Amino acid sequence: MKVKIIHYRANCIGCFACVEMASGRWAMSKKDGKSVLLGAVNNKGVYNVDVEEDEYEEEKLVADLCPAKVIKIIK
Amino acid sequence: MIKTEHISKPELLAPAGSWEALMGAIQGGCNAVYFGIEQLNMRARSANNFVVDDLQKINDTCHEHGVKTYLTLNTIIYNHDIQLMKAILDAAKQTKTDAVIASDHAVMNYAKKIGMPVHISTQTNITNIDTIEFYAAYGDVMVMARELTLKQVGELVREIKRRNITGPSGELIKIEIFAHGALCMAVSGKCYLSLHTHFSSANRGACIQNCRRSYIVTDKEDGYELEIDNEYIMSAKDLCTIDFLDEIIRDTGVSVLKIEGRGRSEDYVNVTTKCYREAIDSVLDGTYSKEKIKDWYGRLETTFNRGFWEGYYLGRKMGEWNDIQGSKAKKKKVFIGTGMNYFDKLGVAEFKVESQKLALNDEIMISGPTTGVVFEKVTEMRVDDQQRTEVKRGETVSIPIATKIRRSDKLYKMANA
Repeated sequence: MKVKIIHYRANCIGCFACVEMASGRWAMSKKDGKSVLLGAVNNKGVYNVDVEEDEYEEEKLVADLCPAKVIKIIK
Repeated sequence: MIKTEHISKPELLAPAGSWEALMGAIQGGCNAVYFGIEQLNMRARSANNFVVDDLQKINDTCHEHGVKTYLTLNTIIYNHDIQLMKAILDAAKQTKTDAVIASDHAVMNYAKKIGMPVHISTQTNITNIDTIEFYAAYGDVMVMARELTLKQVGELVREIKRRNITGPSGELIKIEIFAHGALCMAVSGKCYLSLHTHFSSANRGACIQNCRRSYIVTDKEDGYELEIDNEYIMSAKDLCTIDFLDEIIRDTGVSVLKIEGRGRSEDYVNVTTKCYREAIDSVLDGTYSKEKIKDWYGRLETTFNRGFWEGYYLGRKMGEWNDIQGSKAKKKKVFIGTGMNYFDKLGVAEFKVESQKLALNDEIMISGPTTGVVFEKVTEMRVDDQQRTEVKRGETVSIPIATKIRRSDKLYKMANA
């Protein structure tokens, strides 16, 4: 079963927390200082990617701890 | 003793976390506004921040009204922020923003390189004259740590003159202090609490304000739990200096008085700015009085506050803590509806009532990005040209309003809290 990660990027405050917790899935953009959801497709500014279930636990933590609450995980 | 040689009119600096607040601040009579662009400011999470493309309009609007513009760019900066920081500063310079408020040295350094005037943020916690001398290479205005007493602030201003400490502009360094608004439990905001408990960094503008909650202290040895005198021991009351503003202006010689609150609503910004405008003017023209203070205090209490105290300025107390969670405002806004039309010739505004009821003699507030903040009383209401004493949801009502309002402006009733 796949897990969907959604990133509402516009309101990201670039705090680095997601990259710190899951650097394989997240990186910082030097262009605008916000985080980038690796492998995601852009749907009108909302980024999403389907990943394997083994990433779920880590990404759930990322979503919970994002201070701007711009990351959602759907299982 | 009042010393008169220092009397000069300080600049009143108001917060703008939205277009509504920006207009509310201008209407309130501020001399300058401060605002954040994108995410690199201390209200990244809570304020509805402006974007780079808004800079031109912010500057045009403010300069048209003779109001200066200060861009707040005062979070800690990581490597990945450098490019954005430079892009924001370049845009700020190009759109004739008057200054940037900075705390990270990278921001000061780049601003200096491109010739952008710098104000040193309170986040640098300046508390002594040698630090002022250090930052004088970068900034012309310096915001003091909020924990200094007025005596200390006055000494710093005098010492700047004595040592002739000048900034990049060649003029003497100007000192700015906070006049009104929230205080932190950490020295001027450098706080780790929000990050520690909720992974939400205050120093990146994401403070979740967990200091404002109540806490129980547990004795780990025997498990006793203590709730400390029902006080929110980490939540300081709000700073209010309106009742000793004469001392501040006459005794310290500060150049800028700042109102805190980019995360607060437009009515707070408007009411607070207006009160401090009147207070500063009356100190200068000699009409500052107890009666006036009572009136201002009453008005300040109508809008968001955690209860007031004089901060650390008078040096009497260690800290005054809040005894409730949230606001002690005596008035609250109740959303009623949205603006539809304004008939210039008649001075009548039309609103669609979308929630609650509105009655004759109700106090109302209208706010919008261009309108700013307008307070009125309902003296007459008409629906389909019939006079009414009450209107309810679904109806379209006409109300005489002296100030022009716009389509999609928000109409609120000011109810007792």
